[in-house]
Amino acid sequence: MAKESFDKEIQFLRMLSLAGGAYSRQQFADRLGISVHTYDKTLRNLKEMVTVLQQDLPAEQGTELSEWLRYNYYESADPLLLFLFRAKSLKETESIRLTLLLTALQTQERTAKDLQDLCSEQMPADSPLPDEKTIRGDLKYLEEVGVILRVNERRPYRYKAANDLIDQLTDDQLLDLYDYVDVIANTQIPSVQGYLLRDTLKKVLRKRGFNPEATETHRYKYNYHSRILDEAHLYTIFGAIQQRRRIRFLYLSPKKGMNYTSQNTNPLFERESAGITDSILPLRVVYDHQYGRWYLIGHHARMGIKKFRMEGLTQIEEGEPVEEEEYAEKLKALEAQLKNSWVTDTNRAVKVAVRFYNPSRSGANFIRERVEAQGQWGVITEESDSTFLYEIEVNEIYEIKPWLRSFGSSCEILEPRWLRKQFIAEWKELRSYYESI
Amino acid sequence: MNPFEKIFNFQIISRLDEAGSLALTSQERSWLKTMLRHPASEAAFTPETLSKLNTLLEPEASIEVGEIIMEKARSKERQVYHPLLRTLRRMIMQNQGILIAYQIKHGGERTDQAGFPHKLEYNMYKREWYLQWYSTRQRSLMSTKLRNIVSVEVFPIPAKRIDDLKARIARLLDGLKESACVQVIPTFNAELSRILSAFSCFDKSVSFDEASGIYQIHVNYMRDDSEFLLSRIRFLGLRVKITQGEQLKRRMLKTADMAIERYGGMCN
Repeated sequence: MAKESFDKEIQFLRMLSLAGGAYSRQQFADRLGISVHTYDKTLRNLKEMVTVLQQDLPAEQGTELSEWLRYNYYESADPLLLFLFRAKSLKETESIRLTLLLTALQTQERTAKDLQDLCSEQMPADSPLPDEKTIRGDLKYLEEVGVILRVNERRPYRYKAANDLIDQLTDDQLLDLYDYVDVIANTQIPSVQGYLLRDTLKKVLRKRGFNPEATETHRYKYNYHSRILDEAHLYTIFGAIQQRRRIRFLYLSPKKGMNYTSQNTNPLFERESAGITDSILPLRVVYDHQYGRWYLIGHHARMGIKKFRMEGLTQIEEGEPVEEEEYAEKLKALEAQLKNSWVTDTNRAVKVAVRFYNPSRSGANFIRERVEAQGQWGVITEESDSTFLYEIEVNEIYEIKPWLRSFGSSCEILEPRWLRKQFIAEWKELRSYYESI
Repeated sequence: MNPFEKIFNFQIISRLDEAGSLALTSQERSWLKTMLRHPASEAAFTPETLSKLNTLLEPEASIEVGEIIMEKARSKERQVYHPLLRTLRRMIMQNQGILIAYQIKHGGERTDQAGFPHKLEYNMYKREWYLQWYSTRQRSLMSTKLRNIVSVEVFPIPAKRIDDLKARIARLLDGLKESACVQVIPTFNAELSRILSAFSCFDKSVSFDEASGIYQIHVNYMRDDSEFLLSRIRFLGLRVKITQGEQLKRRMLKTADMAIERYGGMCN
């Protein structure tokens, strides 16, 4: 599948998971900047994938993809969007052949010749028989991705499946490993490879006779599942940063209505491109825990530090490398600017002072606990039995404001005065939302 | 490192399943090797298993992508693993009854509480583990922080009661389901993606009325999630308004009143 097609599927899945059910076919297609025909085709492909992967899905849930994304929300830790990473298209014969090869190597060491003979016997009658070159190519690929390994130094080489990590573990050890992978994939980033490994370990446990319920003992509350979609770009950006290369991309601001613009090859469907082609020197990515969203931050030749939401990045391409010195200098400057960023704001720093009110009920002081856990580098000082003070130097107030507001009446802004006034005005307006009840 | 390798393709995966075969890539092993450096690994494995894993993974490369990632606005990680997880997950898996002692909120301890464990739940916001269990004495569902558990041991439950207990837990959980509707104020529609992201950690669906340009977010939640839902709604401020959910609306009104009070009342 072309790179562009992935961009489309990422956008498609994100819109489906975020705004599930909101749009008609036409509205959905319009917002993605694709034709209804393309919409139908993409949906059909995704559904086919879901059906193959989730054979135990109840029939009534299988009908609507947006419904499926909600399925098991409170019962399972399965990341529903993982299937994006399983979408790479493949010829059927290739998938049959690779499976045959891997299966043959699970427990036995074999040479390319053995495997070619085996394929000739076992490939379905209507498939072309693979020649030696094809088999060698397959083995080279499987070795590259690490699923098989070569066991001897001299020709003819013998191969076997690289399953030691699993085969060497007892059932009890494997269960501990499954749990660890489950916990880490769900609570840490990056997680895509962890979720893929989790899938594999889950199957091994079932194969070893564990009850399916044995892999469903853990749940994760308030998890941002769509965060894994943005990991699709992470390694491309990482590669560019490692090589100190600029990148070019088409940026579709999530604030504008359209999320995806197809690279049109058919002039009949030509649309005006809604995005902006940009080029930056990538420096860092930021993960925002408040929304489960990713940002790319880089240096732009004219504009200096520039930030992009990962979800708006499409058609990323590597460009020219820069000198190490230039990269180091830009990175240093960025780190200094981000020092006081609640998330990514690099504007001037403001001193914010807040009074927090402890809960009036006795018992756990959940206000204090939350400020201590989430207040980043802010400083707490004692004030009275019922209150404490919190002070922080932060770049602008836009990013910290929602957090402060989330404390409701347990938080009183002291400084700056204009922010105090804003809070008063906002609470009055919020009050008007509900006063008629 | 390419998470889109064709070996991950869904047709291959499903064929491998049918054949009972495995494909374990170096990407996955590298991820694991890197993640085993997390201090949580010490509570997750016996020393013997951990050293075996480290040996098995030695030839792999580490994933150094963490170098370029900055995590912001994250809660301090109180715990990723709790030493009791291994014990409790085995009790759940084996359908064992428990006898549990734990500290309670206002000080003091409850001891010898008999029950049946249901799930281990991690609260991503508080970064803390909880045990969900059914108390046979109080006939109700309990949620206890793992760090508050003083002791837990196996307590025999007759096998024939297990299905009944599970059904009861499912019924009780069902009874805790609530729903609410939150409307996006149309002047903030340009921020829709941010607003929907803020609710993406809930089970929700969205409806859109083209004529009025109004988005409604229908949130399904469990009763004990209502505090978190309210904090998300306050987080978004003027951008959203609760349109269904009387209890939540009353709470928002009360919060607004009390907040205004903090600043010296309406005349300020």
